[in-house]
Amino acid sequence: MNRDAEAALLVGAIVIASMGVGLVNLAQGGTIDAQVALTFFVFAAAFGSLHFAVRRWAQHASAFLLPIGSVLSAIGFVEVYRLNPHFAALQRWWLLIAAGIATVLLALLRNSGVAPLRRYRYMFLAAAVGLLMLPMLPTSWSFPLRGVIVNGSRLWTRFTVGPLQLNFQPGEIAKLCLVVFLASYLAERQPTLTASRTVGRFTIPEPRHLIPVVVAWIASFGLLVSQRDLGASLLLFAVFIAMLYVATERTAYLTVGGVMFLGGAIGASMAFPHVARRITAWLHPFSDPADTGYQILQSLFALGSGSLSGSGLGVGTPTRIPAAFTDFIFSAVGEELGLAGTVGVIAAYALLVAVGVGIALRSRDLFRKLLAFGLSFTLGLQTFLIIAGVTRLLPLTGITLPFMSYGGSSLVANFMILALLARISHEEHT
Amino acid sequence: MNRPMRRVTAFLFVAFAALLLNVTYIQAIATSKYRDSPLNPRVAASITGKERGLIVTADGTVLARSIADPSDPSRFTREYPQGAVYAQVVGYSSLLFGDEGLERAYADELRSRRDLTVSDLIDALMGRDLSPKSLELTLDNALQHAAYDALGDNVGAVVALDPQTGAVLAMASTPSFDPESMLAANAHTLREQLLADPKEPLVNKAIARTYPPASTFKVVVASSAVENGVAGPTTQFNDLAELPLEGSTSSIHNYGNGPCRDGTTVPLDVAFRYSCNTIFAMLGLQVGAPTLYETSLQFGFDAPVGLELSAEESYFPTPNELDGPALAQSSIGERDVKATPLEMAMVASSIAHEGVLMQPYLVSRIVDVSGQTLDQTTPQIRSEVVSSATATVVAQMMEGVVASGTGTRATVPNVRVAGKTGTTDAGSSSQAVWFIGFAPVDNPTIALAVVVLDAGENATGGTVAAPIAGNILNYWLQP
Repeated sequence: MNRDAEAALLVGAIVIASMGVGLVNLAQGGTIDAQVALTFFVFAAAFGSLHFAVRRWAQHASAFLLPIGSVLSAIGFVEVYRLNPHFAALQRWWLLIAAGIATVLLALLRNSGVAPLRRYRYMFLAAAVGLLMLPMLPTSWSFPLRGVIVNGSRLWTRFTVGPLQLNFQPGEIAKLCLVVFLASYLAERQPTLTASRTVGRFTIPEPRHLIPVVVAWIASFGLLVSQRDLGASLLLFAVFIAMLYVATERTAYLTVGGVMFLGGAIGASMAFPHVARRITAWLHPFSDPADTGYQILQSLFALGSGSLSGSGLGVGTPTRIPAAFTDFIFSAVGEELGLAGTVGVIAAYALLVAVGVGIALRSRDLFRKLLAFGLSFTLGLQTFLIIAGVTRLLPLTGITLPFMSYGGSSLVANFMILALLARISHEEHT
Repeated sequence: MNRPMRRVTAFLFVAFAALLLNVTYIQAIATSKYRDSPLNPRVAASITGKERGLIVTADGTVLARSIADPSDPSRFTREYPQGAVYAQVVGYSSLLFGDEGLERAYADELRSRRDLTVSDLIDALMGRDLSPKSLELTLDNALQHAAYDALGDNVGAVVALDPQTGAVLAMASTPSFDPESMLAANAHTLREQLLADPKEPLVNKAIARTYPPASTFKVVVASSAVENGVAGPTTQFNDLAELPLEGSTSSIHNYGNGPCRDGTTVPLDVAFRYSCNTIFAMLGLQVGAPTLYETSLQFGFDAPVGLELSAEESYFPTPNELDGPALAQSSIGERDVKATPLEMAMVASSIAHEGVLMQPYLVSRIVDVSGQTLDQTTPQIRSEVVSSATATVVAQMMEGVVASGTGTRATVPNVRVAGKTGTTDAGSSSQAVWFIGFAPVDNPTIALAVVVLDAGENATGGTVAAPIAGNILNYWLQP
């Protein structure tokens, strides 16, 4: 596929976004108004700039990345607009900012490629840790940067400049920094980490090489304890173990990681009532439909009501779902676009993961390989965890659905993933 | 390094496949479990989703209306301002349980036709009006309330007809329920309770249940005898305390098990006035099964009622089912004879209207959004049951019942009231006490039937049903 086909597909996504806004307006008794034009121009500007950035600085990049990212953003945006036009207006700004940052990233890497990222790995580690710690800042102090507690979780940070307030989830960016660090660290240490010793019939990693695993586990668990963020801690630990396994080809890491995860999960469910509640809601949603099971039931009701073809955009009542425009955006799409919509969305994510892993498989350089894989795996696992959560395949973990959920930090992080994957795929052709 | 990468990715794709299977299960296979769950707020919201037409009484009292949601003018809440008084007649419109009552019978007229179904689309293209239509009923609001209040805590039903036209003036059934409660969020539980209630509050007992008409059926027997010259009001009968039935071990007794009057002879009009069972059993045997069957058909038995609401057929056995004992027992409204309160009101109405039975109806007009009449019901003769002379004779006998017989408690001051009481045998499958009648005798404006079920061991039509009828008639005839 070439860049012109990519441009054509991007135009399709831009049309989906603006026409979707028009349909929502019509369904709710309104008219086709400036919102449609505004959406058209914002999407055109965001994806237009990315497209031209890729054309100019990564012309050999995979042409699948931007179209898939754009169509998911378009469907997500239309649903956010349908749920809350005020948040949609903010989301438009975030879209421009995220596309701008991704464009700048492509520009910065235009000569050097992703290689310099490798050199600054400890800076990324420090950034990741720092970002993860940000929400722990006091909630009430005079410093412009402070922690915010939302729904009992401490994931947010508020940045105040004069009258301007900006809430963001540093965890989203931290996730990205951590993947860069891990790719770099594992590429460097790959030979030593593969070393193993034999105990009887078993081949186990050098015990000292298990130290990083333990550190990651403690960090993830600390995240869970301090910020009550089930989703992020699970995601970070899984990404770490997966990348370690890929880099070393030692299944022992998987076993050790799996056991540690299970231990952590069981321990957490016993120690923390909020984790236990999630598990109860997962197993017995109907036992307390007004309280524990409320969220997941509202999600299932929305999906079930959507049935095969959905109620139609703007015609359903997805506003009944709690947090519909963030964590539960998938359920809102399921109600209004039906099974057709949900299968389409899942297929798009699967395709994006496949494209990302394909880039990793073709990469000749160890760092790029691990980076592309880590980014794709993070994206895929995060998507799986939240969709599985809202469809009651797994207990609910509060994380965003990439590209579709409302939220600036998430959008910026995922557009940066697109830019990095585009850059890596470009480098394989040069 | 590519091998573990492929493995991890394969694992991720299996997980994605599980997602696809799971959403397919939720959205295509187990859909109804979630979509139709009573806990699903969409269910409650969809019950009252679309606009429906008005239902009003003859005097303009609103029985059902749709009120636009202030936050969303395209959604409507259905309201039933008169609540339980009309519950079984008007019914309710619910996506959970379907429509009931007139809301069901006139669903097509009442619904908004802006659903964009194919037929609506065609009508829209043809320029036809798509707004919901309204119903104007024959019911009189004040009389309906009087009937509902007169029934009070009794389990029973009242039907009042205009004998000249067949218009249903009142149709009450107790106990009742609040139709708006069927649209509430907890409607499922509430409906379960109502369905489990042995007093059947959801059932319109005036038309949907049949009961042994007991002695009120003597109006049919007397009409048949007079019409066919078998007997007249002065024809004398032996006042037997017990009538043994040939070919059967059972026998016919009078109420109280003694002779009906003094044990000598009794003329037919006196036997009617005091509801002598042995004499009417003899009379029935004299009239004969074919003739009595024919008369009962004329009164409306064994045929669909033809009311706008679906009603049970009342039952009188065919001649070849009626051997001697069966005929004797059927002649006093027992054994297999079963009638709805509406049927017995039709019997009274036929006598009131000089032997002519008018087709009963509930809906007088269908009106469009601008108030223009789209369809108007014209009164129709259903059958010419008996001659006007016969009707006059039977009417006189019925007047005697209220003047000095078993039905004196249905008296209205200064108004001539005709009536007949009925009390089922102790051995009947269901206990029902009745009063049927009409007034004023010289120019009837109302014919009614009152039934009360399980009224108590010593309850009779005269002591329980007649006072209720008296209340209603008093209300109607005393301004």
